[in-house]
Amino acid sequence: MVRRQFLAMAVALWSLAAVQPAWADITVLVPSGSEGDGLRAAAADYSKLKGTKVEIVQAPYNNVFEQAANAGQSKSGAFDIVLMDDPWIPFFAENGHLEDLTPYFKKAGKDGPDNDFLSKSLALCRNPYDSGPYICLPYVGNAQMFFYDAAKFKEVGVEEPKTWDDVLKAAKALTDKGGGRYFGYVFRGGQGNPVVADFMPLFWSYGANLFDKDRTKVTIDTPEGAAAMKMFMALRDVSPKGVESYNANEVGQALAAGTAASSINWPNWVATFEDPTQSRMVGKISYTGIPAGTKPGSSEIGHWTMGIMTAAKNKQEAFDFMMWATSPEQIKISAERGNPPVRTSTFTDPELTKQDKFRHYPVLMKAIQASTPRPRHPKWPEIENAFGIELSKAVAGTESPEDALKNSQAAVEKITGMK
Amino acid sequence: MTRALPTSVSAHPAAGSNFEQWVERHLRILMLAPAMLVLLALTIFPSAYMFVAAVTRISPNPDAPWEFAGAQNFLKLLTDSQFHIGLWNTLVFTFAAVSIEFLLGLGLALLLDKYVRRLNLLKTLLMLPMMLPPVAVAITWKLIYEPQFGILNEIMFDLGLPPQAWAGDARLAMLSVIIADVWQWTPFMFLLMLAGLASLPIEPYEAAAIDGASAWRQFRDLTLPFLKPVIAIALLLRIMDALRLFDLVFILTGGGPADRTKTLSLYIYQVAYRFADQSYAAAISLFVLFATVAFSSWFIKRMRLAE
Amino acid sequence: MLRSRTARVSQEVAAYTGIAIALVITLFPVYWIASNSFKYDIDIFAVPPEWLPVNPTLKHYRAAFIERPFLQYALNSLIIAVSTTVISVVLGTLAGYALARFHYPGRWRHQISFWILSTRMMPPIVTIIPLYLAFNYLNMLNTKPAVVIAYTAFNLPFATWMMKSYFQDLPVELEEAAMVDGDTRWGAFLRMALPLARPGLAATAIFCLITSWNEFLLALILTLTERSQTLPIGIAGRVTQYHTYWGEISAAGFFSCIPIMIFAFIVQKHLVRGLSFGAVKG
Repeated sequence: MVRRQFLAMAVALWSLAAVQPAWADITVLVPSGSEGDGLRAAAADYSKLKGTKVEIVQAPYNNVFEQAANAGQSKSGAFDIVLMDDPWIPFFAENGHLEDLTPYFKKAGKDGPDNDFLSKSLALCRNPYDSGPYICLPYVGNAQMFFYDAAKFKEVGVEEPKTWDDVLKAAKALTDKGGGRYFGYVFRGGQGNPVVADFMPLFWSYGANLFDKDRTKVTIDTPEGAAAMKMFMALRDVSPKGVESYNANEVGQALAAGTAASSINWPNWVATFEDPTQSRMVGKISYTGIPAGTKPGSSEIGHWTMGIMTAAKNKQEAFDFMMWATSPEQIKISAERGNPPVRTSTFTDPELTKQDKFRHYPVLMKAIQASTPRPRHPKWPEIENAFGIELSKAVAGTESPEDALKNSQAAVEKITGMK
Repeated sequence: MTRALPTSVSAHPAAGSNFEQWVERHLRILMLAPAMLVLLALTIFPSAYMFVAAVTRISPNPDAPWEFAGAQNFLKLLTDSQFHIGLWNTLVFTFAAVSIEFLLGLGLALLLDKYVRRLNLLKTLLMLPMMLPPVAVAITWKLIYEPQFGILNEIMFDLGLPPQAWAGDARLAMLSVIIADVWQWTPFMFLLMLAGLASLPIEPYEAAAIDGASAWRQFRDLTLPFLKPVIAIALLLRIMDALRLFDLVFILTGGGPADRTKTLSLYIYQVAYRFADQSYAAAISLFVLFATVAFSSWFIKRMRLAE
Repeated sequence: MLRSRTARVSQEVAAYTGIAIALVITLFPVYWIASNSFKYDIDIFAVPPEWLPVNPTLKHYRAAFIERPFLQYALNSLIIAVSTTVISVVLGTLAGYALARFHYPGRWRHQISFWILSTRMMPPIVTIIPLYLAFNYLNMLNTKPAVVIAYTAFNLPFATWMMKSYFQDLPVELEEAAMVDGDTRWGAFLRMALPLARPGLAATAIFCLITSWNEFLLALILTLTERSQTLPIGIAGRVTQYHTYWGEISAAGFFSCIPIMIFAFIVQKHLVRGLSFGAVKG
C-alpha cells in the first residue's frame, strides 16, 4: 500500500516537473554565442529597470535561421524579436516575416534611427538595401579584418600587407620556411558559408561582383572574377592541408596557436588572441583592413540586427526594447561585454579606445565603413550554397578554377533566373 | 514458429466481474490499440502534410496561397544533380558503414563469447561510444582529425606514415565519416550479436564436436543459421538509421569538401530550411520513404522475418 | 598433442590481442574527450598533443555547469528520456505481446507489424515542420511533453518490434499452464510472460533511453529555452559562429555519458540475454 502511494506521488511529481508553461512579455530569439549572451545580460537589466519580462531564446548559431523561418512561416508568434545575421534580412523581409518599423518611429516622434549609427550599418537594415523602409536595427557591428603576425611578416620583408600581392609574397616565403609545420596564410575553406565568406573580400578587391549594377546579369565568370580566383588558388597553395574543412574557429585557432601567420577573420578573435589561456600569441597579432587587389580592399560586413516579427504578440513593447537596447549607453555596455558596437560615439569613446582590448576599434570602424554586404537577394542562402560547392571543389582540386567560375555562373543564373 | 494463444475463450472461469470478462474478451485489441493509436496520431498529420506539400508549391511567405504543382517536384528529382550526389553518397555510406560495423561487431562478439564470457565491465566499456551524444562524437572526431593539431596525425607521424587532411581531403572525407560512424555504432552490432550468441542452444554443438566438425564448419552450419534472425533485425535497424545520417556530416564536414559527404538527409535539411523549399524537401523525403519501405519489405521477406 | 596445445595458446593470444585492440580503439576517443575537458584551450591545441592534461583545470566544468545552464539541460534530458522510455516500453510491450501471441486473420499480423516499423522510416526532417505546426497550434512549443510525444513516435516502433520478437521466443506452454491453473489471459501475461521478459524489457529500455537522451534534430526545433532544451542542444550551442568551445563541449559530452553508463552497468546482466531479441527460434 505504502509502495503504491509512493509510486503515485512520484508520478505526480514527475508530471509536475515535466509540464511548466508560462511565457514572458517579450521573447527574443538569439544565437548562442557572445551576441546572444550580450543581449541576454541586457534583457536582464531591462527587466529590472522597466518591469517588462524579456525572455531570451538561444539557438545554436547554425539553427537560428530555421527557428526564425519556422516561426515566420507558421505565424507562430513564438518570437517578438529576432536577432538576425544580416544576409538573412532580405529573405525575412521579402517573405513578410518582418514588421515595417516606420509607424513605430512615427509614433515615437522620429523619422528613423539617429545618425550616430554607422551609415553602412543602417543601410543593411532597410529593405531594399539602403533605400526602403527600416525593418530592423543594428546591434552587433562586425566586419572582417586582416590579422597577421607583424614580426614574421617583417622577417620576410613585408612591413604592412597593403595588397594581396604583399600577402602572397610574405605567406609564400613563410610557408616555404615552415617545413610543413608553419604556414603563411590560412583561410576558411569549408563548403558553403565558410569558403564563400573568405572568398568574397578577394572577389571584391579585384573589382568583381556577383551581379552587375542594375541586377540583371550574373557576373561571376568575368576577367575580374578570374583574377580573384587566381589569387585565391595561389593563397591556397601556401595554406595548410585540410583548410577544405576549416571554419572561422579553425582559422583563428591556427593563428592563436602560432602555426599560421595571417588570415581574414572576425573581430571577436581579438579578445581570444590576447587571452593567455587560449593563445600563444598574446600581443603579437596585428590587424588591418582587407588588402587591396586591383581595387581597394573591402571586407564582408556581418552584422547582427534586431527585427520585429509580423506575427509578434507585443510589437510596441518589442520596439521599445529594441530602441533601449540600441541606445548609445546600451551599445557601450554591449561593447564592454565583448560585442563590437554599431555607433560612431562608441567606436570613438576614449574611455574604451584607451583600453588594450579595444585597440582594434579604429581599424574595425574603418573596415565597416569600407565593407560590402553580401548580395541582397531573398535566395541568398541558395546562391551561397551553390557558389560554396563550386569554390569547395576548386579548393579541393576536384575541379579546375576556370570550371568552378563557369559552373558557379551557371548555377547562380539558374537560381536567380537571370541570364 | 509462433504458437498463438486461443483468441476466443468466452467467459473464462477466472474472470469474475463483467468488466474483467469484457477485458478478457477484447484483450487483443486493448493491448494493441494504445500503441497503434499513438503512432497513428503522431504520423497521420506529418504524412498527410508531406503528401500535400510534395504536390504543391509552398511559399516561405505565409500570406501567399499554396499553388498546386502536380508532379513538378518529383520531375525535378530526375534532373537535380545535387540530389543524385546525395543519393549516391548515402548509398555508399550506408553500404560501407553497415557492412564494416556488422563484420567487426560479429567478430568481436565471437571473440568475447568464446574467451571472456563473464566480464560485464568490459562489455559496458565496449558499449560506451553509442552512449555519447552524436553531436559530441562529431565534434570530438573533428578534433581528432584536425590536420595540424589532431591526435590522429600525431599517431600517423609516430608510426612513420604521412599525415593526412582527413575530413578536409576530398578523397578521404567520406572515409573519415565512415570511420567515425563505425566507431560509434559497431557496439550496437556487437551487443546484438553477443546477445544472440548467448542464447544459442548447446546440444547441436556437442553433437558437432563429437562428429569432429571444424570450428569454421560449426560457425557456418550452426552459428550463422541460428543467428540469422538477429543479424537480419540488427542490419535492418542499422540500415534504416544509416540512411538518414545527419548529425555527423552536419557538424564534421557540412557536406564538403567538394560535395563528397553530402548525404540525402543533409540535402533535405538544406532544401527545407536553408532554401525554404518545403515542397521539394517533401518530394525528396517521399522518395526516401518509399525506397526505404520497399527495401525493408523486400529484406524482411528475404530474411523470412515476417512470422 | 603438443602441437595442438601451442596452436591453442597462440589462438588465445591472438584473440586477447584482438579484444585489447578493440578496447583501446573504443576507449581512446572517450579518453580524449575526458582528457580535453580538463585542459586549458591552449593545451587542447598543443603540438605535439598532450596525452595527459599537463596543467589540469576545472574551468570548463565551471563554465558549463555553473555559468551556463547545463545542469538544467541535463535535468530536462533526464525527464524527457525517462518519460519517453517508460511510455514507449509500456505501450511497446503491450503491443508486442498482442502481436506475438494472438491470432490474426490472414496476413494481418505481418501487415500491422510492418506498418508499425514503417513509421520509423520517415525521414525526420520533413516531419518536423508539421510537428512544429501541430505543437504550435496546441500551444505546446517549448514544453517537455511535446518532445516526449515526438520521441515516442520513433521509439515506439522499435520497442514494439523488440518486445514482439522477445515474446515470440518465450515458450507459450508456461502461459497455457497458468491459464489451466485458473488465471485469466491478462493474468498470465502479467504474472507469467512479463517477468520472464525482463531481459527484453531491460534491453529495450536502454536503447530507448540512449536514443532519446542523445536525440538532436527534433529537440532543436521543438525546444526553445532552458525550460525544455536538452543536453545535445546545449552542446551544439557551444559551436558558435566564431568559436568552438572544445573544452566545454568535452566536459558536457563526457558528463552526458555517465548516467547512461551507470544505468547500463546496472542492467548489464539482463541486457545480454535480453538483446537476443528472442528471435533465435524464428
